[in-house]
Amino acid sequence: MNQDITKFRNIGISAHIDSGKTTLTERILFYTKRIHAIHDVKGKDGVGATMDSMELEKERGITIASAATFCEWLGHEINIIDTPGHVDFTIEVERSLRVLDGAVLVLCSVGGVQSQSITVDLQMKRYKVPCLAFINKCDRSGANPEKVIKQLKEKLGHNAVAIQIPIGLEADFEGVIDLLSMKATYFDGKNGEIIRIEDIPGDLMELAGNKREELIDAASMFSDELTEAILEEKEIPEAMIIAALRTGTLLRKLTPVLLGSAYKNKAVQPLLDAVIKFLPCPYDTENTALDMDNNEEPVILEADISKPLVALAFKLEEGQYGQLTYIRVYQGLLAKGDNIYNVRTGKKVKVGRVVRMHASQMEEIESIPAGYIGALFGIDCASGDTFVSSGLSYTMTSMYVPKPVISLAIKPKDNKSEVNMSKALNRFTKEDPTFKTYTSDETGDTIISGMGELHLDVYLERMRREYNAQVVSGVPKVAYRETITRKAEFNYTHKKQTCGAGQYGRVAGYMEPVDEDFAFDNQVKGGAIPTQYIDACEKGFRNCLAKGPKLEYPVTGVKIVINDGASHAVDSSDMAFQAASRGAFLEAYSKAKPVIIEPIMKVVVETPTEFQGAVLGSLNQRRGIIFGTQDEVTSCVVEAQVPLAEMFGYSTVLRSTTQGKAQFTMEFATYKQAPQSVAEELVKKAAEEKKNSQ
Amino acid sequence: MIKDSFSLRHPLERLVGSETEIIQDGGFGAILAYAGVGKTALLIQLAIYNLLSNNNVLHISLNDAVKKVGLWYKEVYRNIAFQHSIEDQEQLFETLLPHRFIMTFEVDGFSVPKLEERLTELMEQNIFRPHIVLIDGLPFDVSQKESLIELKAFAQRHSLKLWFTVRIQRDETPLGIPAHFNDIEYLFEKTILIQPEGKDIQLKALKGGKTDSEETELFIDPTTMLIKENKWIQHIT
Repeated sequence: MNQDITKFRNIGISAHIDSGKTTLTERILFYTKRIHAIHDVKGKDGVGATMDSMELEKERGITIASAATFCEWLGHEINIIDTPGHVDFTIEVERSLRVLDGAVLVLCSVGGVQSQSITVDLQMKRYKVPCLAFINKCDRSGANPEKVIKQLKEKLGHNAVAIQIPIGLEADFEGVIDLLSMKATYFDGKNGEIIRIEDIPGDLMELAGNKREELIDAASMFSDELTEAILEEKEIPEAMIIAALRTGTLLRKLTPVLLGSAYKNKAVQPLLDAVIKFLPCPYDTENTALDMDNNEEPVILEADISKPLVALAFKLEEGQYGQLTYIRVYQGLLAKGDNIYNVRTGKKVKVGRVVRMHASQMEEIESIPAGYIGALFGIDCASGDTFVSSGLSYTMTSMYVPKPVISLAIKPKDNKSEVNMSKALNRFTKEDPTFKTYTSDETGDTIISGMGELHLDVYLERMRREYNAQVVSGVPKVAYRETITRKAEFNYTHKKQTCGAGQYGRVAGYMEPVDEDFAFDNQVKGGAIPTQYIDACEKGFRNCLAKGPKLEYPVTGVKIVINDGASHAVDSSDMAFQAASRGAFLEAYSKAKPVIIEPIMKVVVETPTEFQGAVLGSLNQRRGIIFGTQDEVTSCVVEAQVPLAEMFGYSTVLRSTTQGKAQFTMEFATYKQAPQSVAEELVKKAAEEKKNSQ
Repeated sequence: MIKDSFSLRHPLERLVGSETEIIQDGGFGAILAYAGVGKTALLIQLAIYNLLSNNNVLHISLNDAVKKVGLWYKEVYRNIAFQHSIEDQEQLFETLLPHRFIMTFEVDGFSVPKLEERLTELMEQNIFRPHIVLIDGLPFDVSQKESLIELKAFAQRHSLKLWFTVRIQRDETPLGIPAHFNDIEYLFEKTILIQPEGKDIQLKALKGGKTDSEETELFIDPTTMLIKENKWIQHIT
């Protein structure tokens, strides 16, 4: 393994589904000699492309899981991380985008910048990932790289600068002219592996000269040295232009544009050269962790192997030999046999086998130094866990995991599916902390819950495809809650005298609204309730929270204060005080003005400006409060809070109102009181359900 | 409604007169100050006053993202609520939010026709209809005269009151007011200068100030950025 970190690149290849991302990755692996034969994506040989690990990915046009693969080029090591192209799976997106340092944005020279290119570009922008653009499919009829560069500038707001021009286009596409070296490059041999460098054809000389001028002009914005050289009309060394372009790229103020045709094996190698020349090494990017001992304050990590270890497990994969954990080391060194700590669980873990992955094959290595990506075997952890050396308590991801806001009952169709379903659920809950599962006490159904409709949809689909678990799902249910809005007092005596020992307990105090889920305060003085029964009182109150008296939704935001009571020497017991507390809760609850609260989601829609009005209207119709709109060059971001109950099916509505050009993200924001009309509707529904179940 | 349990006085009343005289529909007001002295905070105090008075506020920022503007409101509101001992402050804030709309533009991307297009979309769909518009971060250089004249016509067309923040430079004139501001000053009914005076930050009415009373001085508390000793929210008992 190369120990020089400047010779290392962690990159993502991002594109919309038909721009040839998989083919390009396949060719990269071929030229870097990681694979020895090329398979087509929809291959006749039945093998399929190496990086395509999930069928669902292709079918839905989204990338759900991220795979990492490693290759070498000109003495540099490149880790290619597959990036999701969909903004809804926030945790997945965040994880894969945070482990990469740079990206290649692949565009189709015919289709140009399409709506999904806009999505992936927005992700890059959000995570400040520097990128190169590769205009693929220059051999196709209708190929127009000039148009795509213009779209990159106008639609995506990139300062896109071509560093190559094509030699011929469509069926005549032969190779590219490198504007840095001013040479023509052709790709010979069966798989384009033989590079032939020649002088620029005479008819393209003038165009190349003009384009080089444009390139140098754009690069000069980032280098005083280059500006000086231009003004003094000196000869400009290639290295000087490269350095300036690199500075601009790292600042995300310039996007070098390359072109080629991966399918026809043309100009993939120069793209690899450009990855090395222009994209950052782990040293060039700043990574931060959160210090758990210091209120989650951000701490800057150093890619230094002598420092204590900080590493992030960003993906889990169930393999033949058990769980494979993909990990990026940000600081320190992770070696075989080391003892490391999982910050989330606090557990010590011994590192067993350390490997480096290339799609589904692996290579054993001794250690993973800072800045590198590898995989571990036999480590029990969840995706997103941070591993550190003893004594550190840094975390790469905030420990805050929002509670699920939507749930769905699922039932396996047969016995085989039942086993597979439980395997799948076990795995998904490990991968994604926002995805939860439990068995309903009432119906015995398995309930899955998560952060949105699409979130659950994807897991259902994965269950079917990856685990062959045939499941039937019910209607999604919103996690409504009950809470109280004012203080109310209670003074309840539980008294029962049947044969044998009686039951006696009196509990007095009050309940009031509070910000936490539940709080209990014992202010009983003088032993009015003996100390040994206080826990029973708390338990009694707590048990009332699971099913609220109003509509049987869980109760939150209640503080109970007990300040008086009475007991009996013989008849008092834990049971009697639990019952007294239950009675006291019911007595005060109705007086405390209980209300139904509903989950409110923070919804952010990113749309081309021409659809802003339609988007605003669609959110407004859904009881949304629109906070604001943010106009950017070509697009507009709308921020709103919308009740989850109104968001079902929104992705379809948004797609149809914006011709598929807008995207939205949704995350849980808060609980708010449901309007009277909604509460009444819920009462009606509950009554109907009760009637039907009788 | 919690809002109804208050009586309000305009926060700038001591400086520029009673509420009805502050600015009229179609009128302009400006807050001038150096960078970092508290223009945005004062603007948001005016916004909160209007929100509590059941007026819809459109806040346009050419500097900050929606999220940041939202945080400004939270912070200024929290300080006001503390200063005026408002109970149930969270609940009250929630009731104000539907009456506020934030629009942000990139400075180069801002134009009056664009603003009008956006606003029309909101009004036509009955989503939001502002009474007052606050524009934060518009560069007041020579080239803006045209835009301001267009904005004046826009304000009059829609019967809106507009407040601006104007960033001034330390070295331009004794008060720091750009010379070309004199050219456009006629468009404004009130101009208020925020000026550091030793340890204090003083508010001065440059145009449209009160002349008849001694109570014309207002100061800003540098820790909260609120107007000092100015309880403009009174609880109705």
